[in-house]
Amino acid sequence: MKFPWQRDRKQQELEQELQSHLRMAASDRMGRGESPSDAAQSARREFGNVELVQQVTSDQWGWRWLEELLQDLRYGARMLRKNPGFTFVAVLTLALGIGANTAIFSVVYTVLVKTLPYPQTDRLVMLYEDVRLPNYQNERNEPSPGNFYDWAKQSTLFANTAAYRNRSWNLSGEGEPIRVEGELVTSEFFATLQIQPTLGRVFAVEENQPGNSHVVVISDGLLQSRFGSNPQVLGQKILLDGESHTIVGVMPPGFHFPDPDDQLWVPMGMSPAELGNRGSHFLLVFARLQPGITLTRAQAELNSLAKHLTELYPATNTGQTVNIVSLQEDIAGPVRPTLLVVMAAAGLILLIVCANVANLLLGRASVRRREIAVRLALGAGQSRIAWQLLTESVLLALLGCASGLLLARWCVAGLKLLAASILPRAQEFSLNAPVLIFSLALSLFAGIVFGVGPALQATRGSVQETLKSGTRESPAGSRLRMRSLLVILETALGAVVVIGAGLLLRSFLRIEHVPLGFEPQGVLTFRVIPRGERYAQLAQRVTFYQQVLERIQAQPGVKSAAAVSFIPLTLARGSKGFTIEGHMPTAPGQIPMAGYDVVTPLYFATMHIHLLQGRDLSWSDAPQTQPVVMINEVMAKTYWPNQDPLGKHIRQGGPDDSEFPWLTITGIVADAREFDPVTAARPTMYFPVTQFADPGGILRDWAVRTNDDPRTLAANVRAAVWDVDKDLPVTRIRTMEEVRSMSVLSPRLNLLLFGLFAALALVLASVGIYGVTAYSVAQRTREIGIRIALGATRNEVARLVLRQGACLATVGVLLGLIGAFALTRLMASMIYGVSAADPLTFFTVAFLLAFVALAACYIPARRAMRVDPIIALRYE
Amino acid sequence: MAPRYQNRIELLQGTLDLLILQTLQWGPRHGYGISQAIRANSGEILQVDTGSLYPALHRLERQKWIAADWKLSENKQRVRVYRLTARGKKQLLSERSRWEQLSDAIAGVLSPARRGGQA
Repeated sequence: MKFPWQRDRKQQELEQELQSHLRMAASDRMGRGESPSDAAQSARREFGNVELVQQVTSDQWGWRWLEELLQDLRYGARMLRKNPGFTFVAVLTLALGIGANTAIFSVVYTVLVKTLPYPQTDRLVMLYEDVRLPNYQNERNEPSPGNFYDWAKQSTLFANTAAYRNRSWNLSGEGEPIRVEGELVTSEFFATLQIQPTLGRVFAVEENQPGNSHVVVISDGLLQSRFGSNPQVLGQKILLDGESHTIVGVMPPGFHFPDPDDQLWVPMGMSPAELGNRGSHFLLVFARLQPGITLTRAQAELNSLAKHLTELYPATNTGQTVNIVSLQEDIAGPVRPTLLVVMAAAGLILLIVCANVANLLLGRASVRRREIAVRLALGAGQSRIAWQLLTESVLLALLGCASGLLLARWCVAGLKLLAASILPRAQEFSLNAPVLIFSLALSLFAGIVFGVGPALQATRGSVQETLKSGTRESPAGSRLRMRSLLVILETALGAVVVIGAGLLLRSFLRIEHVPLGFEPQGVLTFRVIPRGERYAQLAQRVTFYQQVLERIQAQPGVKSAAAVSFIPLTLARGSKGFTIEGHMPTAPGQIPMAGYDVVTPLYFATMHIHLLQGRDLSWSDAPQTQPVVMINEVMAKTYWPNQDPLGKHIRQGGPDDSEFPWLTITGIVADAREFDPVTAARPTMYFPVTQFADPGGILRDWAVRTNDDPRTLAANVRAAVWDVDKDLPVTRIRTMEEVRSMSVLSPRLNLLLFGLFAALALVLASVGIYGVTAYSVAQRTREIGIRIALGATRNEVARLVLRQGACLATVGVLLGLIGAFALTRLMASMIYGVSAADPLTFFTVAFLLAFVALAACYIPARRAMRVDPIIALRYE
Repeated sequence: MAPRYQNRIELLQGTLDLLILQTLQWGPRHGYGISQAIRANSGEILQVDTGSLYPALHRLERQKWIAADWKLSENKQRVRVYRLTARGKKQLLSERSRWEQLSDAIAGVLSPARRGGQA
């Protein structure tokens, strides 16, 4: 096997060899007495065609196919250059299809396929409580410290087990106070991940004891942004929530777990009493399996462990087993269905693109018929020409791939931004080697898919006929049939995509109009968390809230202001078990649960959550006055059906937790959506901050209602906070409208992607229908001329053309409706409040496509109407 | 590999290969030399077409039955000289026996009487 670059030298040698043959033959003849010129001439005559001999001989070398391929590529490139219009349209279409698929695949690959950046990730697993109680089911419940402790102690199949929980700290000292996100972690956290720090060390076991835990490991990012990359940072003390912590280690650049925003890690420092807590569930637990241990085996061990724990602690562990999930699956699992649907939609778009380009190629084949016939007549084999045409389409696809990659680069950058808060690992999205290989393979595949039909089609049919009959007639009929099929396919696939987009649009409109139970317009929110020694006591915190709120309310334009543990439409929320006075003690594990928020007075007025009954909380609800609570409507209806809950008593915890005081229900408010607009409100309790001493009830989020644009208040509220305490960072300054729109980012992104796909599908389908109808009108010019000559009116002619287009569109749309009916159910998890077979969407899309199809036939119909019978009949 | 010319080569294939291998059995030769030798040894009956000879030489070379080197001829010209390889010798033996079988068989068909007694 020789390579092409050796070809020239070998050809030269062959030429020399043949020349030497000629010389020897001539000199033999001269030896027999011929004159030199006669000898040379007859030697040449005897030899035959030197070039032909050279070519047949070089055919024996075995890389003819490569040579032919290069020849085909050169020829193809020349043809594409000669038809810039065709090439531009085809490459642009392909670029859109391939670019979209590449960009989506880079997301799919990163989230679903690529291994996580930790050593031996396949051995990392998450451990959850799997709770199945009559009133509460969750297969990924956050474990309680007690369970974490027992699992870690008693399981034999894990090399390491660790727990963590997300936290944020006020980092103050030099410079402006900032809030940093981080994790509270147990001592084996880094050992489980098997990641070493680049500077210093990670935590020692004794640093996980309460009192020893004032140490911190920081991220490389924080080292750069806050400490100017100074390696002397080790041993330095920083203030976290006003408490001094010693920096003992710096993690490598790019390291993060679990959250890309995490900047520091602090020991959790749980006391033995805290580690025995089985009632509060707030940890995330992960572990590294021993080498060779499978998930199934670990699950079996944990099941028997959980059974044992349920027997030991029936009050807290009833209905509870352990759910073990690989870390990779824990991250990929929840988004897999959506990503696969989007990938499938992108795939449909690529098929539409292929159909469209095949259509263009068929259209052009009629122009190239003579060229091909001439080549066939000159002795080129049919397969040779088919290969050549196929090479041309693969070349087109590769050009499409190259421009598609440019497009994909922008798309990936855009997706990185748009999906940052809704898809895991968004910061890792990139056009890496596997994605490029995918893109290239996809392009080759596409080139073959759209090239094969036209290539075979073009080489069929007889040479004589074509050359004889001028430029029209003959295989045009079968070509038209093929083009019509392609257009039907295109329209059907387009209908599926457009219906998908329609369902998402309907669903999104539903979401936008869900009554939230509060009014986001006109509200500014921000986050200030008073933590640290200065705010250790409830009274200190209450004073702070009051002082800041007074200052804010004094600002011009402010109607009211309040603080709350968590504003609505954010995902961090707590829930508590409670007991109703006078109710029978409940079965183990079945105490009623309710969500809760801690609020200042005027919170409901500020959010415009309606007070249905009773009174709002007041600053005069003090620790020494009657303990009160407010509840929402769904809680009232669930637990006091047909009764008036006002004045009734409830308390936190189970029937035996008598350390909590009885609380009197003083008010009922309307239900407000808490997690996101589509999740219905749960029973919820609102505790007055003035009576809620537990540090877990620190208020984080603040809300200010104004008559003006809420954004204009941003500087003023910051000043008001810093007027009271200049060491507290003020973060997440956003309007409530922005919070709302962030909570629907995921359906919005789905809609955006499908909307783009649908627009593309519509354009391509209409181009396809236009192309075929125009082609058929051109083919039928003569027939139309005869019809007009025989007295058909122009309108009848136009109807003829429109009927053809309508026919294609109808068949395509019908097939599309059937396809969509079968496929849209895969989207069930992506749509809200609309059936996957929503008749309105299906009908609307059908009419939309029909309209687009007729519009696409308009120009060809006009052209048909203007056919002049005399010219048409003379034309042939 | 070369569909357009296969027919022409195949007509002589086998036979021409055998003739070339047999000619090189007597010593290395260049292409012209081989064609002259075949012509002379066949009593001027077999005239090897260059359009068949050179493809055959290059094909045999690719099959490693013969090898080629550039040498200087007696009159100081650069010529490509072919020689038989070890594999080529084996091939020659098997082709010869095949040829003998074939010509016996053809001879038998053409003059059945010679086979004697069977008819």
